[in-house]
Amino acid sequence: MLGFLLIMKAEIIRGWIITRRYWFRTLTGLIIGYGMLMILIAGFFYSQPAIERGINQLDDPTRATNYILGFIIGLFAFGVIGMFTQGIQGMAQTGVLEQLCMSPYGLVTNFLARAVVASVTTILYSALMVYFVVISVGGKLFFDPIPVIVLLTLSFINLLGFGFMVGGLVLVFKQVGQLTIIVRMALFALAIFAREEFLQQSWFVSIFMHALPITDASICLKYVLVKGQQVAPGEFMSVFFHPCFYWLCASCVIWTFIGISLFKIMENYSRYKGTLGIY
Amino acid sequence: MYNNELNTNIKKYTVYLDEVSKTFHTSHFLYKDEETGKRSLIKRKEACAADKITFGIMPGEIMGLLGPNGAGKTTTVKMISGLVKPDSGTVYVDGMNVEKKRKQVLSQIGVVLEGTRTSIWPLTPLENLYYYGNLRNIRGKVLKERAHQLLDFIGLNDKKDIEVRKLSRGQKQKLAICIALIADPKIILLDEPTTGLDVQSSRSIKDKILELTRKHGRSVLVTTHDMHVAQELCDRIGIINKGKLITCKPTSELLELFSKQIFSLRLDRNLAEGDLDTLAPQITLLQTDLTADGPTITVQVPEPYAERSEALYLLFETLHRKKYQLRSIQQKQVNLEYIFLQLTGEKPVFDGINSQEQE
Repeated sequence: MLGFLLIMKAEIIRGWIITRRYWFRTLTGLIIGYGMLMILIAGFFYSQPAIERGINQLDDPTRATNYILGFIIGLFAFGVIGMFTQGIQGMAQTGVLEQLCMSPYGLVTNFLARAVVASVTTILYSALMVYFVVISVGGKLFFDPIPVIVLLTLSFINLLGFGFMVGGLVLVFKQVGQLTIIVRMALFALAIFAREEFLQQSWFVSIFMHALPITDASICLKYVLVKGQQVAPGEFMSVFFHPCFYWLCASCVIWTFIGISLFKIMENYSRYKGTLGIY
Repeated sequence: MYNNELNTNIKKYTVYLDEVSKTFHTSHFLYKDEETGKRSLIKRKEACAADKITFGIMPGEIMGLLGPNGAGKTTTVKMISGLVKPDSGTVYVDGMNVEKKRKQVLSQIGVVLEGTRTSIWPLTPLENLYYYGNLRNIRGKVLKERAHQLLDFIGLNDKKDIEVRKLSRGQKQKLAICIALIADPKIILLDEPTTGLDVQSSRSIKDKILELTRKHGRSVLVTTHDMHVAQELCDRIGIINKGKLITCKPTSELLELFSKQIFSLRLDRNLAEGDLDTLAPQITLLQTDLTADGPTITVQVPEPYAERSEALYLLFETLHRKKYQLRSIQQKQVNLEYIFLQLTGEKPVFDGINSQEQE
């Protein structure tokens, strides 16, 4: 635990120094990020078959907010998985990964701490984005702090497990890092389109959707933030009683177990192959 | 018997490798053999990086691993630091099996690997040391003091607040050594520490390595293909080639290996082709040169004094019988390069620069 906290501290300081030292890059990054997101959302709506339909959809702030939130959750998922895939690749190229591999705390603790710090930064950044973009399209968000914090934590744990699994593969096969962009894009799309209606398909499709790491997290977050935890207008039901919440909890346990186990196996295999720490 | 010997070695040496082997397997898709032109869908290849390597590093000793590119030096370093898992054999660090107690072992080792940046470039040297210190469970006042001491020791104190990306290559290498030392390890593994550095930086790093062992009692393993670095720095040298440890001796002993065995004889005329065969059988003709002073032959004679004496008498007798006039005789003092080439099976060249001569 002490090691985890120490690594977190080191990461926060490193991140803060770089943010402060390269303040211009940070600021322009925020502005460009906001601009890109607006373009992406606009493009998404206007790329519908009929422009009128797109405009009509834009007129429905709930629907727009739903998608915007999906975009942000998708970006969050994209970032967390990227921290494992592109992060490992990048660190392997610079030699920092070799030093991490030689940390007495082990790679799992190191990546866990790094991921927590990176996700907190991403959540803060995303929260700002959600706020600005939702305001821009005239939408409304229901903010209930406890469910939101619980759901964000569970979403993060869920993604972390999946990230460890993909990261384990990248440890051995560094080139896989390039291909994982497809997985990240798939998660991004899933976060945008995930809706409760998806789960009312055949049992096979339903189970498959639940098994994917972002589906339930995205549905639950949308349920809280967009629907205000209302099953029907005026009919309130806490997200903690929503079936997707239980699926999310189960998914967290399963993905974390699979992810960390596979990561350790792959770390060991990587040591056997001699690819640990190198590109 | 074996176990007793092993236990003694584990206790005696800070680092001990017991018959460690490693072979890497690679698969090549759509492979084309350059020699035969034959194509295959998948070609599997094997490369032996370590073949039953056994050696130890004493406390306070600088051990050098010398070998050509691809000999297995870096793999050996990585096996000691736990980055590569051996196929067979065991690596012991401070009496602990690296595979079984990896985390404990890692806190005893500082590693500088070749060709990597190690440090985080947007940070300053001091910030880098704080960062890596935290990663290695060093914190608070101890970390601050040690970071400043290390920068002072390595000569980077005046650069401590400059971003690493603005430092020279030598300064970055010095910082990498500081990072390796931040947890105050007993053992330091340096993979090609002076490669690509200018003479001054190289000299400075060598001095610091010497200081680390002589003053601070640390064990150091240096891998290099630079003979001068090995000769100047190392107390003991292991020569490694194609994964095999060919020899491992104290540097002075290694330098003695072929000394007094190489003679250079200046003659009045070129040695005729047929005369080469009639030289005494114990004598190996290494080289014939045509210098400004006349033709010179370089020969190697056997090591034991009795055989050497016999061989030299025979050589002089043969030359005398063939009516060669002997103008001078020199005994060549061989350097590490010659020894290395001899042991790795390459043909050494005496160019008069690399070898010191004794009349």
